Amino acid sequence: MRKSKFIMSVFFIILTSSTTLAKSADKVKIGSKIFGESMLISEMVAQLLEINHGLQVERKLGLGGTKVVFDALTTGGIDIYPEYTGTGYIMILKEDGLRDSKRVFARVQEQFNQKFQLEWSQPLGFNNTYTVAVRRNDKKFKNIENLSQLSDKDLNFKFASAHEFMERQDGFNSLIKAYRLRFPPSNITSMQAGLMYSAIKNESVDMIMAYSTDGRIGAFNLKTLKDDLMFFPPYEVALLASKNSLKKFPALKAVMKTLAGEISETEMIEMNDQVDRLKRNIPLVAKNFLIGKGLIDGDVQTFEEESLISFFKNRLPYLKKLFIEHMLLSLGALFMACLISIPLGILLTRKEHLTKFIFPIVNTIQTIPSIALLGFMIPLLGIGYLPALIALFLYSLLPLLRNTYEGIKGVDHNYIEASRGMGLSSFQILRYVEIPLALPVMLAGLRTAAVIVIGTATLAAMVGAGGFGDPIFKGVATVNTRLIFLGAIPAALLAILVDKILGIFEKIIVSPGLRDN
Amino acid sequence: MIELKNVSKFFGENHAVKNVSFKLETGMIGCIIGTSGCGKTTTLKMINRLIEPSSGEVLVDGMAARDEDPINWRRKIGYVIQKAGLLPHLTIKENISILAKIKNRKPEYIDERVQELMKVVDLPFEEISNRYPKELSGGQQQRVGIARALMENPPVMLMDEPFGALDPITRNSMHDEFYNLNQKLGKTILIVTHDMNEAFKLADKVILMNHGEIVQMGTQKDFTEKPANEFVRSFLAEHLNA
Repeated sequence: MRKSKFIMSVFFIILTSSTTLAKSADKVKIGSKIFGESMLISEMVAQLLEINHGLQVERKLGLGGTKVVFDALTTGGIDIYPEYTGTGYIMILKEDGLRDSKRVFARVQEQFNQKFQLEWSQPLGFNNTYTVAVRRNDKKFKNIENLSQLSDKDLNFKFASAHEFMERQDGFNSLIKAYRLRFPPSNITSMQAGLMYSAIKNESVDMIMAYSTDGRIGAFNLKTLKDDLMFFPPYEVALLASKNSLKKFPALKAVMKTLAGEISETEMIEMNDQVDRLKRNIPLVAKNFLIGKGLIDGDVQTFEEESLISFFKNRLPYLKKLFIEHMLLSLGALFMACLISIPLGILLTRKEHLTKFIFPIVNTIQTIPSIALLGFMIPLLGIGYLPALIALFLYSLLPLLRNTYEGIKGVDHNYIEASRGMGLSSFQILRYVEIPLALPVMLAGLRTAAVIVIGTATLAAMVGAGGFGDPIFKGVATVNTRLIFLGAIPAALLAILVDKILGIFEKIIVSPGLRDN
Repeated sequence: MIELKNVSKFFGENHAVKNVSFKLETGMIGCIIGTSGCGKTTTLKMINRLIEPSSGEVLVDGMAARDEDPINWRRKIGYVIQKAGLLPHLTIKENISILAKIKNRKPEYIDERVQELMKVVDLPFEEISNRYPKELSGGQQQRVGIARALMENPPVMLMDEPFGALDPITRNSMHDEFYNLNQKLGKTILIVTHDMNEAFKLADKVILMNHGEIVQMGTQKDFTEKPANEFVRSFLAEHLNA
């Protein structure tokens, strides 16, 4: 009875999760990259749609880097997100040459339309290009104003940039080539975009690849070196939406028009500073801006410092949502893995020759870094619950499969022969002898799998599947420690709790005759 | 009654058992004895079809083994092995009644029968029926093994070194008890052993095997007075303690 109830409830969970997936089809799904500015603009789009157009909105803010978010848009995982013209031009179209902002915009507008069936709004008003920043009071850069002044010199200071800048076409390698910058390789670090500013402030590095609208340039007393060779293209922000979505939600077009040309560079720097440095709540900053601009009605709210406890308390509904997402993912993956691994593990003890094929495959899956495994899922399954579920499922296969196989194989042959001699059939031996005797080993596999899955599920936020990883990623991106705690503490507690629960479960279902005294 | 007619078992080219024939009348105790590797355990396992014979015929109470489904066949034959083969995850009561439970016997019947059998093998029901095998001594475990084999009241029992793991004193008293027990139960019992004293003490018929073949068969008197050949003589000299 107990077992069948458990199985029923897991089915129920999977059923309800698939219906919530179905419901989300009627909502406008808004994506963003994983940094404050992108999230702020998406939040503005969300509020305009909700307040002025009465639409239901699903916020998928902070999904990841350009590749993840752009793939999500083209595969229909999201309907709209803010993109930069320069990124579209160089990284997505893989073109180069143009530097004039009007011509770059015209080019991406035309090409995206043809190649991807995507439409750009008019630019929102500011240019957030890359800029090299140093500490204003750093003597090394006293008389340096233009970046070309550093050409052909041995640069023995430390340089840091965001991961994305290291990898992209118009990124680090092209920059040092264009300006003939000679850095020893050991002096170059890539890190989360948000961490660079703390790194230069506390003098761990001397030069960073900053964004020109970042609030911390002023706040941390940094100066920017002029891109005098015009290396960087313009990075004007605009909203990018798929034609299908525009047809389905005409209000998107209205919002794209509303925001065009509305945000100046000064305004963006001010808002970025509020979010990145002062850790103010993004929806509130966005709302105050929209109210101030007269784009929505309402009262401007003031900010109060929250204590850590009230920070958690004020986000209880968010935590509850994260908990449900996290549990649906972990339990769903574990349940599927049990469904596959246990029968397969038993089959392998009967058909030994299959182990030569199955174990290498499952072992290889386990060696793929979890971030990469999730990354592989995006082109195959898009973003959201399903790709994360599949990745976690693949991850929990090995401990369950191996322990089932080893557990059954490890049963003393004497017990099996005694049972056969009594007249038990093969199935009865499996059911009454082998499985009960293998149970401690099998359950140890389940516990390992559960702890792995709950831990790895924090990465699911990378593909927009939510869970406790959501605030962790946002917290790392915006250097907001409290936001990191908001995800990390419950995730750790959950792993410990589930391990304890499974320990109690083990005590209940494993025969006392098998316990060590 | 157990009867074997020209039973052989080959593993590839080599024979493990060759042309073994004997007959054990109902209610008798037989012992197969021999050095390790002589084919005695293989012979025993061919009777309950844990090993299928290559040729020859096995009969129990006139029925041919090969005509029956192996699982049904085994259920009619009690089977006791060394160290009893008790399942560590089941209580004593569950161990004794596992087959009855699989056959869906009523709980009241199982309860009554287990109590009765534990009395037969002289184990205190109240005290140990809910304990696990690891909590019992070797002698107690062996009694449980016998009770388990008797649960479904089979006419025939096969025992593979049933007293082999016991210390000499326990073994001796178990021999006496077991002998007296079967005077009451009247089962046909075939025991495999390497202990000549045990064989002479328990068996109505002793079967000595070597290299897969029967060397001599008979009572203690037959062996001591008319040993068939030099092998028998030296085997007795070596294995029979004064």
